[in-house]
Amino acid sequence: MLTRRLIVCLDVKAGRVVKGVNFESLRDVGDPVALAERYEQEGADEIVYLDISASGEERATLLDLAKRTAERLFIPLTIGGGIRSADDVARALRAGADKVSLNTAAVERPEVLSEAAHRFGAQCVVASIDAAMIDGTYRVFVKGGKVPTALEAISWARECEQRGAGEILLTSIDRDGVRSGYDIALTRAISDAVRVPVIASGGAGDAAHVCDALGAGGADAALVAGILHDGVTTVAALKAAMRAAGLPVREAPPARATA
Amino acid sequence: MPDARITIFDYGAGNLHSLAKTVASAGTTPRIETDPIRAVETNVLLLPGVGAFTPAAERLSAGRDVMRRALEGGLPCLGICLGMQLLFDTSDEGPGAGIGIIPGHVGRIVAERLPQIGWNTVDEPTDPLFAGSGLRHVYYANSFVCRPDDPSCITSWSTHEGDRFAASVRRGRTVGVQFHPEKSSRAGVAFVHAFLKEALA
Repeated sequence: MLTRRLIVCLDVKAGRVVKGVNFESLRDVGDPVALAERYEQEGADEIVYLDISASGEERATLLDLAKRTAERLFIPLTIGGGIRSADDVARALRAGADKVSLNTAAVERPEVLSEAAHRFGAQCVVASIDAAMIDGTYRVFVKGGKVPTALEAISWARECEQRGAGEILLTSIDRDGVRSGYDIALTRAISDAVRVPVIASGGAGDAAHVCDALGAGGADAALVAGILHDGVTTVAALKAAMRAAGLPVREAPPARATA
Repeated sequence: MPDARITIFDYGAGNLHSLAKTVASAGTTPRIETDPIRAVETNVLLLPGVGAFTPAAERLSAGRDVMRRALEGGLPCLGICLGMQLLFDTSDEGPGAGIGIIPGHVGRIVAERLPQIGWNTVDEPTDPLFAGSGLRHVYYANSFVCRPDDPSCITSWSTHEGDRFAASVRRGRTVGVQFHPEKSSRAGVAFVHAFLKEALA
């Protein structure tokens, strides 16, 4: 039976991990490779690097970071942020990423999803959707959640699937970093609308929130960041709660002495 | 195993890093080879798991018969995900011919949620590589699975929704795994190491 996944997201900027609260006020929390390795040891099912660099110079470090990570990480690595074209996808995969997430580029030119899926398979193409409620509908935002578009989130998720995305990474902008829980209504609406796996993101404050996203929200995976980086909880504690809630969970690897 | 030549056949798509690092961590840096005929000049052949069936079959076509004869002659081979599918004859994913060392075809998983992405259990494992590595949960990223004509080659199973499929197959020294051991954390790495140890013994 396929297990529900706990995915740890590391927001990176100029090669360091940061985590935004409502996509603002960045705080430095550490070295990406060391953190990724630590989370694998603790039982994380996947790692996501989201590059939030503002400039090309800062972003140039991302492929090198992916390469250094792939040398030491033996769980799937997704990278996103600034990926514009199928050639960018190729470079990311060659550098050591297993999957690549596309957000603004897919909104601006949806064909990029099909082009990447055709060349590398749907399983490595993640459509990243940032959504927030405006006037009663969920709208898609781009440019790191700052710029609203005319797209409605549910129909956009369906289009992403049709164009070849193998997963949807769904972030609630309203909830991101707030720790009040995932947007369950949004998550449920999207997971009911598409057949590809949905990763819920934005709002994790505790283990119950994670279980809700996977249970009531219908998500296949839950993405967490700040509550782990800040030491509020641990991967093991979250997975124990998932197991206690009756969700199928990958067995934690054997405990290893920590330094 | 410093003198053994381990070769990864490169179809020209996707991430080979993790598999190369998995092999290297057993003590031998693998050779990455894009020519299918030169690829069989090796002690161990690895068919990696990234890409789509049709373009990979095209890259393979010039060396298909050579590769098949090498495997029939006892060249140890581990095919991962797409690499496992290429051990079979044909695929519903698209046109093209696989190596055909294991009779059967590749078909789409019968399930609501596809691709199957995530960790699944390996059930009823009979291949000793599983016991040797402690591998129980494995990472999948696939929509297609192998349907062997003769199920006796199946050495473990997984189930996605209602569809039970071959998680692994073996014919002699040819092993195919539908999951990604190189992405299945430490036990997955141990699985690859166990295969290499057997292959080079």
